Amino acid sequence: MPLPGMTSPSFIYACTRFRVRRTALLPREEYLRLMRMSIPEIIAHLGRCLEYAREIANLTPDFSGAQLIEEAVNHSLARSFRSSMAIAPGDLQILTREYLTRWDIANVMAILRGTVHNIPGQQVRDLLIPAGEIDSALLDHLLSLTTCGETIEALQDWRLYPVLAESYRVCGEKGVFAQIENELYRHYYAGLLDPGRTRCSGCQELNAYLRFEIDITNMRNLLRLHCAEEACNLAVIDQTMIPGGRIPIRHFRRLYGIETEEEFVSAFLETDIVPVLAQAVRDLRRDPGFSSIDAAELVWQRWHQRQRPIHEVEIAVTRIRLHRLESLSKRHPFSILPVLAYLERKKYEVANLRAIARGKAFGLPTERVWQYIVL
Amino acid sequence: MPVDEIKPTRAGLLIVRRRMALAERIHRLLAMKLDGMMLELVKLTDRAALQRRELEEQYTRAREMVAVAAMMEGATGVLLAALSVETTPIYTARQKNVFGVRLPELEPVMVKKTLEQRGYGILGTTSVIDDAADAYEDLLETIIASAELEGGVRRLLDDIERTRRRVNALEFKVIPELTQLRRFIEDQRDEIERQDLVRLRRIKRIKAKRAEKP
Repeated sequence: MPLPGMTSPSFIYACTRFRVRRTALLPREEYLRLMRMSIPEIIAHLGRCLEYAREIANLTPDFSGAQLIEEAVNHSLARSFRSSMAIAPGDLQILTREYLTRWDIANVMAILRGTVHNIPGQQVRDLLIPAGEIDSALLDHLLSLTTCGETIEALQDWRLYPVLAESYRVCGEKGVFAQIENELYRHYYAGLLDPGRTRCSGCQELNAYLRFEIDITNMRNLLRLHCAEEACNLAVIDQTMIPGGRIPIRHFRRLYGIETEEEFVSAFLETDIVPVLAQAVRDLRRDPGFSSIDAAELVWQRWHQRQRPIHEVEIAVTRIRLHRLESLSKRHPFSILPVLAYLERKKYEVANLRAIARGKAFGLPTERVWQYIVL
Repeated sequence: MPVDEIKPTRAGLLIVRRRMALAERIHRLLAMKLDGMMLELVKLTDRAALQRRELEEQYTRAREMVAVAAMMEGATGVLLAALSVETTPIYTARQKNVFGVRLPELEPVMVKKTLEQRGYGILGTTSVIDDAADAYEDLLETIIASAELEGGVRRLLDDIERTRRRVNALEFKVIPELTQLRRFIEDQRDEIERQDLVRLRRIKRIKAKRAEKP
């Protein structure tokens, strides 16, 4: 057992392995090369990559074109994340498992919806990405069950089972799944922000990063709620905002009620999202003069016209978020942060390959597709 | 009574005149209906053409939005959101009467939905899914509106065709035949009248000759 204040060798070994894995991810030049290829060329290229060769070979009989690429990268992601959980030792493993629970939420919700709406099991199975704690065998077992109650009962060992158990009686009623899903994600973030976990290496930084992510998610969702035709009541805001961010939920409730530009801009400038947003737009538009006030006014314009966030700006914010995580992981090399940096980078590598394949399949111009690439 | 069975008598002539008047009145009414329907068709066709153009634009937009959604969330993400749909969009069909033609009136039901009605969780999805859902809801509404107008145009065209055939039948068959028949009966009646006159004169002359003889 390592002495207090010292990092155990297995911890150092695991963190180093994750750093090495991160270096094996596709570099920028590789994306530029892929952007110039056609879909069959991309498939052939990925078939030669160590990371994707096995999946491409296994899935070629069943899929083709962009669908093959998407399925292959999803399978690779699931394999990679499951092996990450396996190699992480002790607390690192617990945190990694907890961080990857979001994939379980998506899988469980898909199975519950499929069960209630009588969608064929194979159709639902094709949508599942077993990248979380719940393995393929349990997912297959869940798919074989016929009622919502049986599915929930079979998930008794899952960390978010108490949330599901509460909704046991109303399972299948209209609108309930959306509420359950929101509640699961809220508990997921609450679990990650566990106040009792501040003494582990990098946990304080992780919490700060997560709180920043929560703020961005909350603001994005507030814009989505505001752009709906009917005004939602404040209870809906409470149900959809994730608690634990640096910006308190009451501030979002206040923002939701504002209808004048001055008041909105001044309230929005109080949040820590503004500098990040300004940086994102500066990077996106290559406009060094874009200030925080400009960013607040840009959000006001979208807010006032009841429009959703601009996707390209969302991607630019994600780039900054990942850059921050990367910097944190370099500053704390033997902590949970290198693991998360790898998991996030891998997630976005898969998203990038998928975006290139889908963009090409839909015949979108290369410049447009490039805006959706997170590097 | 069929035209062939009408006798060249006064009663026959009255029947033909009555039929002529009726046929001319129907022809006038049908011609007015045809004009009205043509005007309605022009209006409806213009609206249907505009709606079709809008439909094409909406379709392009929806394809683009689903392409962006598939790029950002993957086809898997889009399908997972689609799996959440709890209420199937439908339409109710009624009919409205225009110049006696029953034109369809389609009302979309549960096509445009709120975030809550869509069934997916806000925290598990992103705004691209909202945009794709919005675009497809708009497309579906435009499809229904377009179907209503194009269905109306089709029914109106069918009825115009049928009415035109009736107008033509009246104008080029029924009315000329009745005119000919009327003329024939009048000629026949004139002939009979002339024969009667000649016969009477002859009888009168014979009577006069007999009276002169002792």
